Amino acid sequence: MSAQASLLGPEVSLGIAGEDSGDIVARSPTALFWRRFRQDRVAVASLIFIVVLIIIAVAAPLVVKILGLPGPYVQNLNLTNAFGEPLGPSGAHPFGVDGLGEDIASRVIYGARVSLEVGVIGTGIATVIGVLVGLLAGFYRGWVDTILSRFTDLVLCFPTLLFGIGLASACALKGCLGGSIQPGVPVIIAVVVIFGWTYIARIVRGLVLSLREKEFVEAARSLGASDARIMFREILPNLLAPVIVYASLLIPVNILFEAALSYLGVGVQPPTASWGQMIADATPIFNIAWWWMVFPGAALLLTVLAFNLLGDGLQDALNPKAD
Amino acid sequence: MNTSIRRRAFAGVLALFAAAAALFAFASSNSTTLANGAGLKPAQTGAGETLLNGKRGGTLTVYDSEDFEHLDPGESYFALDYEVMYATQMPLFEYLPNNTTVAAPMLASGPAVVTNGGKTVTVHIKPDVHFSPPVNRAVTSADVAYAIDRGANPNVANPYFQPYFGDIVGAAKATGGPIAGIQTPNSTTIVFHLTQPTADLLIGALSLPISAPVPESYAAPLDKDKPTQYGTSSEVFTGPYMLQSTASGKFLGLGYQPGKSATLVRNPNWNPKTDPAPAYLNKININIGGAAQVIGLQVLKGSDSVQNDTPTNANVELAYTKYYKQLYAVPGAGDHYVSLDNAKGPFTNVNIRRAAYAALDRAALVKIAGGSIVGEVGTHFITPGSAGFAQSGGNAGPKYPWNEYPDGNLSVAEKYMKAAGYPSGKYTGNQVLTIVQADNGNSPEEGAVVKDAFTELGFKTKLVLVDQSVLYAKYCGVPAAQVSACPSVGWIRDFADPQTILYVPFYGPAITPTNNSNWGQVNEPAINAAMVKATFVVGAAARAAAWAKIDDMLVDQAVAIPWIFDDQPNIESGNVRGINDLWDVGEWDYTYTSLDNP
Repeated sequence: MSAQASLLGPEVSLGIAGEDSGDIVARSPTALFWRRFRQDRVAVASLIFIVVLIIIAVAAPLVVKILGLPGPYVQNLNLTNAFGEPLGPSGAHPFGVDGLGEDIASRVIYGARVSLEVGVIGTGIATVIGVLVGLLAGFYRGWVDTILSRFTDLVLCFPTLLFGIGLASACALKGCLGGSIQPGVPVIIAVVVIFGWTYIARIVRGLVLSLREKEFVEAARSLGASDARIMFREILPNLLAPVIVYASLLIPVNILFEAALSYLGVGVQPPTASWGQMIADATPIFNIAWWWMVFPGAALLLTVLAFNLLGDGLQDALNPKAD
Repeated sequence: MNTSIRRRAFAGVLALFAAAAALFAFASSNSTTLANGAGLKPAQTGAGETLLNGKRGGTLTVYDSEDFEHLDPGESYFALDYEVMYATQMPLFEYLPNNTTVAAPMLASGPAVVTNGGKTVTVHIKPDVHFSPPVNRAVTSADVAYAIDRGANPNVANPYFQPYFGDIVGAAKATGGPIAGIQTPNSTTIVFHLTQPTADLLIGALSLPISAPVPESYAAPLDKDKPTQYGTSSEVFTGPYMLQSTASGKFLGLGYQPGKSATLVRNPNWNPKTDPAPAYLNKININIGGAAQVIGLQVLKGSDSVQNDTPTNANVELAYTKYYKQLYAVPGAGDHYVSLDNAKGPFTNVNIRRAAYAALDRAALVKIAGGSIVGEVGTHFITPGSAGFAQSGGNAGPKYPWNEYPDGNLSVAEKYMKAAGYPSGKYTGNQVLTIVQADNGNSPEEGAVVKDAFTELGFKTKLVLVDQSVLYAKYCGVPAAQVSACPSVGWIRDFADPQTILYVPFYGPAITPTNNSNWGQVNEPAINAAMVKATFVVGAAARAAAWAKIDDMLVDQAVAIPWIFDDQPNIESGNVRGINDLWDVGEWDYTYTSLDNP
């Protein structure tokens, strides 16, 4: 057990449970967090939106079937006019079709998969790396800190978008690193990971520099705890709240990054549905086929907004002093 | 953050989104959506336009999202470059805007004379054509000889020198110095001695910009640089117009700013008596850059301007429905086809190629390209309006089962898959087909249709979209890249001889490790032999028949999948009397174009 109470751990804190009764009831930090979080209706709505989005993404084939939509890759040029321009929303195609006669609604639904894959997986891996680097740098200080921090600074100097475009282009045909990084989503996730960990590493390092001087760490050390135990059992639990908040805010950034790369034509490769790519494809004829741009654009906007609002809500609930 | 503020922000965003959606919906209700189907009235083709009733004066603005490649007559080999070349230079021969079959003498004073059994060609030139400042003097035949000599200079590296001028005595080993087979007995006569009786091909090639005179005294020092600075920074001109230049002939930074603009002004030394072109316009401003969609709207709704890029489908539709007289769709603008890797992978099997041919929905590709206004379904490689087109089947094309179904026919395709050794009619091997396509315009959709056809045959496919600028340079034009298919490669004839359509893209020995234009690496011995034989055929009709037979062989072997005979859409402002060069994919001819109200 940790020498200091973890924010999300099982330890008991005191909280006012029932205003009416006046009894003082012990509440866990998790319960306190949830109590504060659920009072924030915007954050709760965002969470619900995200959960629904995840369900839709995971069950995309089923959702498309239930809605009676054609699959996202079903081409039907009969749904374009004599000039090859796509036809707009109709009963059979509520969001209209694209230049290949593919159903936009179906592609928006499948596009959620790409966005969430990049957002969640990319952010998850980047977060793990960032926490590890920050922990090591902050805990050991000295030459370890110097090397890791300067390396972090070095990575931060890279123009992420340009690097992303370059890497995605270089890996476009046959992949990179002997084919271990394949074109499309894996490349984008790789770019997200390569650059995403640095911000978390810096935050974690700063926090660890402070935490390592706390009494509970001294206590653990005096009891003979190893460095690994101190880092991962004593300090790490105290980092979870800020890391969760920051990761939740990094997800929409990465979703937008994927959309940007796909918009520029170096991200997800067709026919895989991607919101950014759909927006890019629609751009030349925005004044004629508005639906091709509006619906994936709206999906992107609402998803990013939901993750940002959720991040704000988590920040408020996990760190009430900051409000 | 304060929750209520955030909530208001959230509601605000939703309101904004709703407003935007309503705006777009309103816009769409006003947009034209034509019903699906045939029966559209054809667009104007530009043929039969009166060339000589324009008004003199005014400035034409040309919008062009693409930049030029070369402005040197020895290097240029790009339709946009040609527009400037033919407005500023005088090759020996030139097609008039409305003539696609016979090149008229331009710098030449009359037709070329063929003697010695087709192995000697003599051309006389006009005596009173002058170079622009600072050279100013009269053009001589030696200037034409130097222009062609320098084509072999590695610093110039003319891309069509060997195919069309390689039979001149001494040209095979030329590196830019005088070529023994080009002689100038006097200042107005030039004689070409050939190693083989290929005079017809040479005469055709004398209509290309390389035959425009270049003064050695001025250009030779510039040709020592790699790449040559002649046409890159400085140049002298013989046509009605010239790039705005300094007194020393330097145009870079003045008449041409890369990526930004080019300005053509009148050539003070041009003699209208030597040139049939009326040259109505005083000035041509070429704006480089911008989005094709926006440019198109500017042109259609504005004045004094034309668009150089291919208009977007949306603007073609807009022009057709609301600005019909401002739209031209010029036939004979080349063709597009899917190249198949004949050298490696599954497409080395002729029956798999035939299956892919049969499976592909070529009509869908035409529709994506813009529909019947911009082209017809391609059925072979010689294009409409070119000699040999009718002999190789006309619009219907050669009669082969895989060529019979423009919408694609899976059962026919499966029959050929079975013949290729796949009893189920589906590919069961483990090779993945790599399809590389440009990421601009309609190209991604075209790639997706091709991918879909291959997938239906059981192939695992990977569609890679790349920037247009590297499509050929790194992928389709590089055999080592091992690209299985490039869905939208295209070819435009160089001049009115069918050899210029088929030879470079399908002749095996012409395959090069880089800048390869035989994209499918087609190297069929029987086809190669037929091409060599057809090269020596003399007479237009006989040449057409010989090359039509080769066209048929290409379809028989399904070396690639032709899918469109292009009609090039061009749009102009309402007050522009634009003249299209029908022989050159309908590009604007600045020397005949005029304004209604200059």
